[in-house]
Amino acid sequence: MKALIIDDSRAMRSILRRILGDAGFETHEAEDGQVALDLMNGGLAPDVCLIDWNMPVMDGYTFVTNVRDNQDWRDVTLMMVTTESDSNRIVRALAAGAHEYVIKPFTPDAILDKLQLLGLFTEVPA
Amino acid sequence: MSAVEAPELWDVLSIAGEVWTSFIGSDEPLVPAADEAFPVAWSGAVSVTGDWSGMVVVEMPEHCAVAATSRMLLIDEPTQADVSDAVGELVNMVGGNVKCLLFGDNSLSLPVVALGRVTPPGDAVEVCRADLQWSQGPLRITVHSVAHSGATS
Repeated sequence: MKALIIDDSRAMRSILRRILGDAGFETHEAEDGQVALDLMNGGLAPDVCLIDWNMPVMDGYTFVTNVRDNQDWRDVTLMMVTTESDSNRIVRALAAGAHEYVIKPFTPDAILDKLQLLGLFTEVPA
Repeated sequence: MSAVEAPELWDVLSIAGEVWTSFIGSDEPLVPAADEAFPVAWSGAVSVTGDWSGMVVVEMPEHCAVAATSRMLLIDEPTQADVSDAVGELVNMVGGNVKCLLFGDNSLSLPVVALGRVTPPGDAVEVCRADLQWSQGPLRITVHSVAHSGATS
């Protein structure tokens, strides 16, 4: 499974990279929505994108609408990971085509539980 | 939590505790502390604009910022860029959650991080201040209400 982490914070990308890497994902990173779109236009085909909302250049909401406007990317799962917890923002993101919404701060289990719900991760019993 | 007109101390303590536990670790909790002066080496600020305008600021001494970054990123010797980024993300999470407590439609700015203090606008009024302590040192979170939000460093 390939995951594209889209967040302007290197710290947050590092944390998500660790969580996803430990779960067996191949991770890729972008510092804003435009860089993420450029990567995908360049051939990167992520199974899931983890997307911050507030970023310079292109925010996460605009990225979601761009991805959903492109039929080639209809199978990409989109998961918002953001501090934006207003209900109207959550509704907007889901209406635009995001599948899941995680509010920062989060625990590794919260991320993995969402990925499991989306069928992208299966926890191996210890 | 229900929407409020201005965040209260308990709100900020609760948010900061959750951020700290999630990203720094639960073994060394963040606890309320006495209001004591410390040398502010790093500050992060986010502005809230909309129906409520204000600013959330996190201040830390050098060793505390470096230790928090080290815990957050699981690296032994963080660079200045690492510390700047980690402080920015911490204030982003605290500020974002403070914003979500407030009435009305509000937007959050991208974080501003400074070596030293971030100076709130001249018309800023401090509405809440949390003096905190964890094993590696003190930190302070302040929430300012402003007529027109903005930060300078």
